[in-house]
Amino acid sequence: MSTPVLELRDVHKAFGAARIIQGAELAVARGERHAVIGPNGAGKSTLFNLISGMFTPSSGEIRLAGRRIDGLDANAINRLGLSRSFQITNVFARMSVFENIRIGVMARHGIRFDLLRRAAAMRAVNEQAQALVERVRLAGRRDTLAGDLAYSEQRALEIGMTLSTGAEVILLDEPTAGMSREETAHAVELMRDLTKDKTLLVVEHDMDVVFGLCDRISVLVYGKILATGTPAEIRADRRVQEAYLGEEAA
Amino acid sequence: MRRHHLLLLVLVALPLLVLPPFLSLGLQNTLVSMLVAALFAVSFNLLMGQGGMLSFGHAAFFGIGAFATLHLMLAVEDGLGVPTPLLPLAGGLAGLGLGLVAGYFATMRAGVYFSLVTLALAELLHTLAPQWDGMFGGEAGMSSMRMPWGGLVFGSVLEVYYLSLAWVALCLLLLWAYTRTPFGRLTLALRDNEQRVRFMGYDTHKARLVVFAVSAMFSGVAGGLLAFSNEVANYTTFGMPVSAQVVLHTFIGGSTVFLGPVVGAAVLTLFAFFVSDLTRSWLLYQGVLFVLVMLYAPLGIGGIVELHLRHMRELRWRALAGPYLGAAVAGLLIAAGFVFVIESLAVLFSSDYAVLRRDAGGLPPFPFLGTEWQPLSPLTWLAPLLAMAAGGWLASRAGRRIAPLWDEARRVHTQGGETA
Repeated sequence: MSTPVLELRDVHKAFGAARIIQGAELAVARGERHAVIGPNGAGKSTLFNLISGMFTPSSGEIRLAGRRIDGLDANAINRLGLSRSFQITNVFARMSVFENIRIGVMARHGIRFDLLRRAAAMRAVNEQAQALVERVRLAGRRDTLAGDLAYSEQRALEIGMTLSTGAEVILLDEPTAGMSREETAHAVELMRDLTKDKTLLVVEHDMDVVFGLCDRISVLVYGKILATGTPAEIRADRRVQEAYLGEEAA
Repeated sequence: MRRHHLLLLVLVALPLLVLPPFLSLGLQNTLVSMLVAALFAVSFNLLMGQGGMLSFGHAAFFGIGAFATLHLMLAVEDGLGVPTPLLPLAGGLAGLGLGLVAGYFATMRAGVYFSLVTLALAELLHTLAPQWDGMFGGEAGMSSMRMPWGGLVFGSVLEVYYLSLAWVALCLLLLWAYTRTPFGRLTLALRDNEQRVRFMGYDTHKARLVVFAVSAMFSGVAGGLLAFSNEVANYTTFGMPVSAQVVLHTFIGGSTVFLGPVVGAAVLTLFAFFVSDLTRSWLLYQGVLFVLVMLYAPLGIGGIVELHLRHMRELRWRALAGPYLGAAVAGLLIAAGFVFVIESLAVLFSSDYAVLRRDAGGLPPFPFLGTEWQPLSPLTWLAPLLAMAAGGWLASRAGRRIAPLWDEARRVHTQGGETA
C-alpha cells in the first residue's frame, strides 16, 4: 500500500485532566471514502478539530501527504490541501450563495489580498464558483443570502464551501445531521458525486449513510481507534458490536 | 439601480458644488466639518460595517492625521516644496503607519476585546499628547499656516471647502472601489464569520490587519483635512468624544449602507450647527436620538431608505401614506412635549431663575417661549405630557397599521426572488 494521504500516529489530546483522544491511529488512503463512527463522547469532533488545525495535539503526529501538519494554523492546513465542513452550519449569512462559494475559489487561485482589480472581472474564479454553485444544486438560489436558505440548502452550501478551496482531502462533520430521510438520500448522492476524485473522511451518525457511502470505516471509542475495516468487516467485528453497534440496537 | 445612483449623485453633488458661495461663513465652515466627519465616518464604517470590528478609539488615527499634516504644514512654511493641496496626504500616511502598528495588536482579538484594545490605544495617545511638546505641542497644541500655492491663496473658507470636497470625493470613490475588489468581498466574509474564512485558507489576522490599516489611513486623511482647515490641533483630538462621535454618526446614518455614515455625519453636523445656538441641551437631544434609532430603527437612516428602495415595487404606498403621516405627527408631538419639558427644566435650574426666585421668595412664574409659566401649576406640565401621551398612542396605532403592510411587501419580495 502506498503512503496514506492522511495519517495519525499515536495522537493524544487532553483538556486539563480530561483525556479526550488517547493514542489515535488512523491511515486514510488516497481516493477512499473513510468514515469515523463511534458513540457520543468518543471524541470524533475533537479528532476532526485536531486534524483541521482548530486544536493542537498534546502529543503525536498528524501527516498530510507525508508532511507533518500538527501544530500548523488552520489556514495553512487548508492551503496544503485539507478542507473541512462544520457540524453546525458555518456560512457567511449576509452574503449570497455565490459569494460564499467564491471566497473559497479565490483562495484556490491564490487571490487573497487583492485590492487592485474588480471582483466581477475575475473570469476563471467566477466561472468556477458558478459551476460549483450548480454542482451543489443551488443554481436557483445563487443570489439568495446564505442566512435565508432552508436548512438542507445550507448544508449543501456548507459542503460546497468545503470543496471550494480545491482541497484534495475533504473532512465532513455530520453532513446529514438534522435532515429528513429524503434530504439525507439527496445529500448522500451529492457527496458521492462531489468527492469522486477526492479523499473523504466523514463523521456520521446515520449508519445507512456510512455503510452506503464509505469504502472503509474506523470505529472510535474512548479516544482510541478500536477497529478499521471495510463495512462488512466492521459489521462482523465482535468488539465493535459490543462497544457501539450493539449498544445502539439495545 | 444604475439610474438611481446617478440621480442620487446629481441631487447630492450639485448643491455641494453650487451652493456654498452663497452661504454664510459659519455655514461654509460647518460644511467643511461635515465633509471631514463624512469621510471619517465612512472610513470608520469600512472597519465596523464591512469588517465587523467596532473600534472605540478611532480618534487615534483621526488625530495622528491632524498632527502629521500640521507638521508638514510647518515644514512647508520653512520652505519645503510640497504643494499645499497635497498636505492631507501626510495625514493618510501617518494614519496608515499608526494603523499598522495599533492594528497588529488590536486585530489579534475580536469582539469586545478588540473594542477595548482600540479604546486603550486612543486613551494612551490622549494622555501622552499633552506631555509631549515636540510631537503634539503639549497642552496648548500645534498651529501652522496654509501657504499659497500655484496661484491659490487658501486664505478663504471657500477655497478650503472646495479642496476638502475634492479630497473627500476622491477618498469616497476609492473606498467604494475597495468594496468591489476581491479583498473587499473577503472583508464582508470576515465580518460574517472569521473562523470560516480561516478554514478556507486565509490568514485572518493578516486580513483583518489590512482592513484596519486601510480604515486608519482614510481616517488620517480626514484628520489631515481638519488640521488643514483649522490650522490648529491639540490633544483633545485624540479624546473619547471624537471616538464616540464617529460611532454615533455611523449608527444613526446606518452602517449597512455604504453612504449611510455620510447621511449620519451630515444630519448630526447640521443639527449641531442649527440647534447648538438655540439650546445648551443639544447634546442630550443627540443622545436621545441615538438611543431611539438603536431601539426602533437599528438600520439607521440610510438603512431605512435602502429598505424602502428595495421594496419600492412591492409596497402599497397609497395604504402606507396615511399611517406614515400619522407616525410623523406622532413623532412631532412627542418631540414637542419632550423638548418643552427639558427646556423648561433648563430654565428652572438656570442661574437667572435662581435670582428671580431669591427676589420673589417662592417659585415665581418662569419665562419661556415668550410667555410666563407657573412652575407649580399642573397645567404647565399637563400640556407637554398630554402631547407625549397622544404622540405615543398615535405612534402605536400607526405602527399596527404599518407592520402588516410591510410583512406583505416582504413576502411578495421573497417570492418574486424565487420565481425569478
